Amino acid sequence: MVGVPEFLAWIEASALGVLMRESGVWTYGIVNLGHILGISSLFGSLLILDLHLLGLWRRVPLAALSRATVPVAQVGFALAALSGISMLSANATEYIGNPFLAIKFPAIGLGLVNVWVLSRLPAWRTRDQREPSASERLHLAISGGVSLACWLTAIVAGRMIGYW
Amino acid sequence: MEHPNPVVFTVASAIALIVALSVPAFAHHGWGGNASEETEVTGTVETVSLAGPHATMKVRVGEQVWDITLAPPARTQRAGLRTDSIPIGATVTVVGHKNETAGRFEMKSERVTWDAEVFDVYPNRH
Repeated sequence: MVGVPEFLAWIEASALGVLMRESGVWTYGIVNLGHILGISSLFGSLLILDLHLLGLWRRVPLAALSRATVPVAQVGFALAALSGISMLSANATEYIGNPFLAIKFPAIGLGLVNVWVLSRLPAWRTRDQREPSASERLHLAISGGVSLACWLTAIVAGRMIGYW
Repeated sequence: MEHPNPVVFTVASAIALIVALSVPAFAHHGWGGNASEETEVTGTVETVSLAGPHATMKVRVGEQVWDITLAPPARTQRAGLRTDSIPIGATVTVVGHKNETAGRFEMKSERVTWDAEVFDVYPNRH
């Protein structure tokens, strides 16, 4: 069983960490920019989708809204994850004992579990063919609320990491 | 609009929570959490790094190694300080604001002096 400090030491010593530290004074700032673009794409699109799941904009069909928001959220997540791991590797051992790390990553984990649960809901899987029933609307709304809570927590904790 | 009020309330509460959580947290970014008076540390250079969110140095004073935080990498470089500007083991004097927490040998620094060379990474701060 490898602990968090060992993982942070390993990723700092990795080729990615060396690349982050030795490829010029602008590298970190540019990767940080990628992180912001990734987060804004992810959160912007899931904010629209989650508010819709919570009951806003009922006249817009879920199928139409998800067609636009889901791929943008996926690309945003990939960009945020890649840039985030890169920034972490630059000085990972500095974050040993940082409590916001211990809030952020479980929140992301829960957010991803929630995505998986949503993707298994019948109302989500058949959104192209039919309208959800009243009880299904409630399930969708719960998923939207959990999603907002998870990703807002991840963003708040993530922003606070550097202020600890 | 159908029934947006509970949702609006949820979002407003979330935003209020973010603002509330943000207030006490200015220890690392900026100069909060550091002593307002200046401290001068003289010791020997162990490392100089222009990587990560900000440039850093480790300076040994007797048995104690100080963590020196400088400006962002590009700003530090513009002040003339590169990783090879000061030889390892050279004696430098660093001026800055040390961490207010007792027992933490960390300093957010404005100026590094080595022999006759002055690296003024925050020239407007003193």
